[in-house]
Amino acid sequence: MHWKSCRVRSIGWVLGVVVMVFCWTSLAQAVDFLDDESYEKPQADYVVSDPIEPVNRAVFTVNDKFYLWVLEPVATGYSKVLPADIRACIGNFFYNLGEPVRSVNCLLQGRVRDAGLTLGRFVVNSICGVFGLADPAGHEFKMAPVYASFGETLSVWGVGEGFYLVVPLFGSSTVRDFTGTVVDGAAMSSYSPWNDDALTAATAEGAKTVNRTSLHLGEYVEIKSMSFDAYVAIRNGYYQMRSKRFDHSKNEK
Amino acid sequence: MKLHNLISFFLGPVLAAITVVFFTQSAVSATPDPTEQFRPFLNKVTATLADPGLKKMPKHEQSRRIIGVVRERFDFREMSKRVIGQQWRNLSEKEQREFEELFTQLLQYAYVGKIDEYSGQQVQFTQQRIKGERAEVQTLLVDKAKSIPVSYIMLLRGDQWMAYDVVVEGVSLVRNYMEQFSEILRKDGYPGLVKQIEEKIAELEKDIKKT
Repeated sequence: MHWKSCRVRSIGWVLGVVVMVFCWTSLAQAVDFLDDESYEKPQADYVVSDPIEPVNRAVFTVNDKFYLWVLEPVATGYSKVLPADIRACIGNFFYNLGEPVRSVNCLLQGRVRDAGLTLGRFVVNSICGVFGLADPAGHEFKMAPVYASFGETLSVWGVGEGFYLVVPLFGSSTVRDFTGTVVDGAAMSSYSPWNDDALTAATAEGAKTVNRTSLHLGEYVEIKSMSFDAYVAIRNGYYQMRSKRFDHSKNEK
Repeated sequence: MKLHNLISFFLGPVLAAITVVFFTQSAVSATPDPTEQFRPFLNKVTATLADPGLKKMPKHEQSRRIIGVVRERFDFREMSKRVIGQQWRNLSEKEQREFEELFTQLLQYAYVGKIDEYSGQQVQFTQQRIKGERAEVQTLLVDKAKSIPVSYIMLLRGDQWMAYDVVVEGVSLVRNYMEQFSEILRKDGYPGLVKQIEEKIAELEKDIKKT
């Protein structure tokens, strides 16, 4: 009896230590806003390397004009034609098409559970959600979407991110992440419904962009009006947002 | 007097005293719940925003009303301190007060545009984390077409949780301004920063008057 309770207790200890180590490592990866250091110095995962800043700034200006003169007016017109909930469904549809690529990326990163979850989301949403227009997996089955991209896979494999890159008509990225975006795009085009010719593919990509912009109208102008240097504000926002996306400690708990 | 009567006679008050001490101590040492403190506050903010009378007021009055409510749970001094970073210690008491005033004004003008955008979005509380004297309350701002994760980072002041940062979709407002300000501080120093903020406020003020 005594021996048994001893064993139970020691197993409890071992488990406790394992859980503690696990929590510690997962906390160490994340930017913790409750730590004062995260305000004092840039973190290891948040060192902005921007050696081609003059080039980036030039592309930023071009993108800025393109957004304000073309994309936003088109998206505003589009938003007047279609109500917000239908546009949200269209957004779901495009997102759902990316789930298989996300699932493969999860596998490549060793996140087996997330890979299954993402694939499960794809099956549920494609069947019960009418080709992914709705998100019953997220709402009814409590399978929240997870982030995964090839840029992230490369980072897990130890590839450094190169430097900050503002891509024409695309926006903020880094050398590594933009490589990942191109690979993800190529992988997706192998099974997407519009892989027949370049024009159809480009139209689909354009529709996706206009739809996404229509759900975020006014946000860019607002960020610009609130900031002192829009280029730095957007670059900082990009790095912060990405560090949150790459942090999966919440899903693993 | 029998022995057990004697014992209870002496021990009774002692036990009572211990119980009282124990309970008051546990009441003092227990940290208040950040979500419970923040929930009524956010309800008050959304109620103020939803008030039809608010939108009839002039813009300046609107932003003053909102900032008055927000002050209840936002520590603008702590926010200013963090946005300036390590240089804060080098500022005089007067400069610190001046900066706090300016930065509050900047946020007031930057957010006045939000008042018109408010169309009954609901706040859902998802999670909270406490770490010593700091806490994070995570919420979702639920709209028709999307829901935006918004976190409030706060500090325990006495028995009140006071927020000093807002994190929208993973982007911290304080850290974003910090990077912009550090560049300005490096190039033009503190007087340059004050000048730029004043210019920005004037610019935002002009925009408000236009609409």
